[in-house]
Amino acid sequence: MPLDSSSYSLAQFSTQAAADGSSYLEMGQTKIICTVNGPQESKRGGGSRDQSNAARIETDISIAGFSGVDRKRHGRGDKRTQEMQHTVSSAFSSTLFTHLFPHSTIAIAIHVLSQDGSLLAACLNAATLALVDAGVPMSDYVVACTTGSTASYASNDEEADPLLDLNGLEEQELPFLTVGTSGGEDKVNVLIMETRVQMGRLEAMISVGLDGCKQIRGILDDIVREHGKKALNSRVN
Amino acid sequence: MAPYTNIPLSPAELSYLYTSLSQTPPIRPDGRAPTQFRPLVAETDILPSANGSARICFADGTEAIVGVKAEVEQSRVSGAATGQVESEGVLGLGTGGVGDVDMDEEDGDEEATRAGKGEEGWVEVAIEIPGMRDDDALPVFLSAMLTEALLADGELKDRLWINRRFHWRLYIDILLLSQPLSYPLPLLSLTTHLALLSTRIPALISEKDEDPLFNDDWEASRFLYPQSKTASGGHRKPPVTLLMLSVSENVIADPSREELAVADAVVAISVAPTTGLNAESAYKTVALRTVDPPSRLTGAGVPTALNTTAGGTSLSAAEALALREKDQGQTVWRPPRGGVKRAMIAKMIKMVTEKGGVGQEVLEGLAGVET
Amino acid sequence: MPSEPAPSTNEREFILAALRENTRLDGRALDAYRPISLTFGNDYGTADVRLGKTRVLAKISCEVATPYPDRKFDGIFTITTELSPLASPAFEVGRQDTPELLLSRLLEKTIRRSGALDTESLCLVAGQKCFHLRATLHVLDADGNLVDASCLALIAALLHFRRPDIEVHGEDVTVFDPREREPVCLTIQHRPFCVSFSYYHAGEVMVQDATLLEEQCREGEVVVSMNRFGEVAQVAKYGGPPVDGLSVLGCMSAALERVKGFDKMVTEKLKEDEKRRDAGGLMAELSAENERPVEGGDRVML
Repeated sequence: MPLDSSSYSLAQFSTQAAADGSSYLEMGQTKIICTVNGPQESKRGGGSRDQSNAARIETDISIAGFSGVDRKRHGRGDKRTQEMQHTVSSAFSSTLFTHLFPHSTIAIAIHVLSQDGSLLAACLNAATLALVDAGVPMSDYVVACTTGSTASYASNDEEADPLLDLNGLEEQELPFLTVGTSGGEDKVNVLIMETRVQMGRLEAMISVGLDGCKQIRGILDDIVREHGKKALNSRVN
Repeated sequence: MAPYTNIPLSPAELSYLYTSLSQTPPIRPDGRAPTQFRPLVAETDILPSANGSARICFADGTEAIVGVKAEVEQSRVSGAATGQVESEGVLGLGTGGVGDVDMDEEDGDEEATRAGKGEEGWVEVAIEIPGMRDDDALPVFLSAMLTEALLADGELKDRLWINRRFHWRLYIDILLLSQPLSYPLPLLSLTTHLALLSTRIPALISEKDEDPLFNDDWEASRFLYPQSKTASGGHRKPPVTLLMLSVSENVIADPSREELAVADAVVAISVAPTTGLNAESAYKTVALRTVDPPSRLTGAGVPTALNTTAGGTSLSAAEALALREKDQGQTVWRPPRGGVKRAMIAKMIKMVTEKGGVGQEVLEGLAGVET
Repeated sequence: MPSEPAPSTNEREFILAALRENTRLDGRALDAYRPISLTFGNDYGTADVRLGKTRVLAKISCEVATPYPDRKFDGIFTITTELSPLASPAFEVGRQDTPELLLSRLLEKTIRRSGALDTESLCLVAGQKCFHLRATLHVLDADGNLVDASCLALIAALLHFRRPDIEVHGEDVTVFDPREREPVCLTIQHRPFCVSFSYYHAGEVMVQDATLLEEQCREGEVVVSMNRFGEVAQVAKYGGPPVDGLSVLGCMSAALERVKGFDKMVTEKLKEDEKRRDAGGLMAELSAENERPVEGGDRVML
């Protein structure tokens, strides 16, 4: 299933001058701003110095009160958000060269301005762009997307094609999973599924998801290269 | 300590900055005129899920996004509300609409019926600053200041009134997306201003005290701040809060982070266009607060006479104090002790509200922002 | 911040080298579990699971409460996990850190979100009264694989639990004392179990039921939750080095086998417990004293 690349056309680099790296990403109506600060000395904790020999990745996701249909304040202690923060942090722990920056922190701040499905996937993609913008060395992009299964329990048709890149309504109705890749085409970095689904369907869902990731990877890569060219040209002139 | 206070400037640099800002005309580090604003990038109506939204990037890289959401809420029926039944339909009986004689086609009637019926609790401002808890002093103080300015005209809350049983509840969520490099109040205020200007509320179809029913058509929605002209020929607009700073005898608008570090006094002035008929000036001050300037937390310089490494003598504590007092910041930097003359505040207010002043410049500049 | 002492470099190297040769420190096969023991307490709704040295105690309790205004027809079901210093010096009281967060989220997704418990059956009077079912999980000893042990304990405890019988007349609800009327089982719609896989050497070596030491050396983990019909309730791989898509699918089929085993074991243990309780046989149950309705007294009116 081809991915609608036009919905990704709104991915921007360096949106904020105050941060080391920043990005803005729209996936349909899901809109995310991501800023990266660091690698820098960890701010937290007076006295006890960070003795680790690799950089720590700290992620902070804040979901704006106006991001959904109804206004809702999302506290920082929300377990679902904390789980997402953990997922983003550990997804990048294997691709970033954290060992180059001992005793330091890479802070990823993600602001969700509008949410309409594929939230975790959008967070991961936006964070990749922002980390590239910040110039943090990495071995590969982390790209993610969602897939949903349309086959119903009753009809039991395993043939039905899974959907790619779900919006909010589809996520409510269909079993879906978020898959993220890095370091090769069939390498699964992140795999999160929270809805009940028959085991037989997972294979198709994952393979469609991996295929989607490949497409998104291409799109992100184009954006990065485009931005790189622009940056290079402005340097020359 | 607030995060915007850690300024990496030495006493010598502070002293230099202070002296150059005290010249007539003041010499600002970035070469601006005293009342000149830094360029900013703004856009409005950026979020489909909010009633109104805006984003502003300041030149120093700080960025804020504001989303306004309106939700229908059932009003608490109080004794006062039922007592007002007879007075309904009598024009301008409320307290909030004094001097606001509206000449609009259909708006006028509506405006008058709801006058004075709004409640201040219907507007809720929430500020999120990265790295700070919601109940930290800075967000709480900033949201109190912004709410105060917004409610000052007394009209906004009345426009949230739907009927005797229902009202709109206005949630203004302010997100500071970057670290607060300088005092973020003007940034947040300008963004809120733009977001409120773009805020639209669905048109009401139901009548009187029925359960409210709204028009689905977003095109038919009306602006929270009506676009029609007021009696004085201006537009109704939410206020903006600007920072003015005084150094010696000079007043400076839109201070940068470094300038704040040497300010004698910092005053936050909220200005809004006047809506009354026979007002002298087109702009009025709706709220005013003095802000604790970060300059008070800077370190003082050491006079040469006291500097033992530079050949000075070590004096007793009392003598050293006397010497510092006598110096009065003439030769070395001394953090200001606060306090500002009344005349200075008057001068600041005048600079903001006068015709062609700072307030007008900002409001007109923001009016030019395309949605 | 107290933390578990990290294994020494030698220890780590040894474990990794051994795993490369498909050997584990305790001689188990890669997909073998440590001996599992499941015992039920004297009260209904207590289950004690031991997995090698790991020990988890689950306790279910219930009370009458007001349902959430946005979910009028549902009862309330909460899962609380407690990682106390009792289990390991790395756990601190009152501080919620990542292991605890992940444990509670995984259980939440496996059991609550997958609809294992029919919360509608806990509703008494719509919008006014419902049962609030609390599942509390105490980790008594932590030696790796807390997730699987906790999930097993929780499901077993839920199946074992009996809630007081009730009678609804309009808006009046009578909750009967266990002595008056035999308490009733909960409506469990399916039984999902968690199986976690730790992987090493870029996903080439997948290990089930890792001990604490093995967990400290691993690159990452994949947690799969499913029931014996192969319905996957949840899959979680939170980052870490990427693994091959096929080996994730391999985890699924391995998990299915494991879950079938879990399911069978729980069923058997429940039967044993039933027998133990039913010592007097049917005759004791049918004795006339129990049949007589009790006037007033013990009845709890709400």
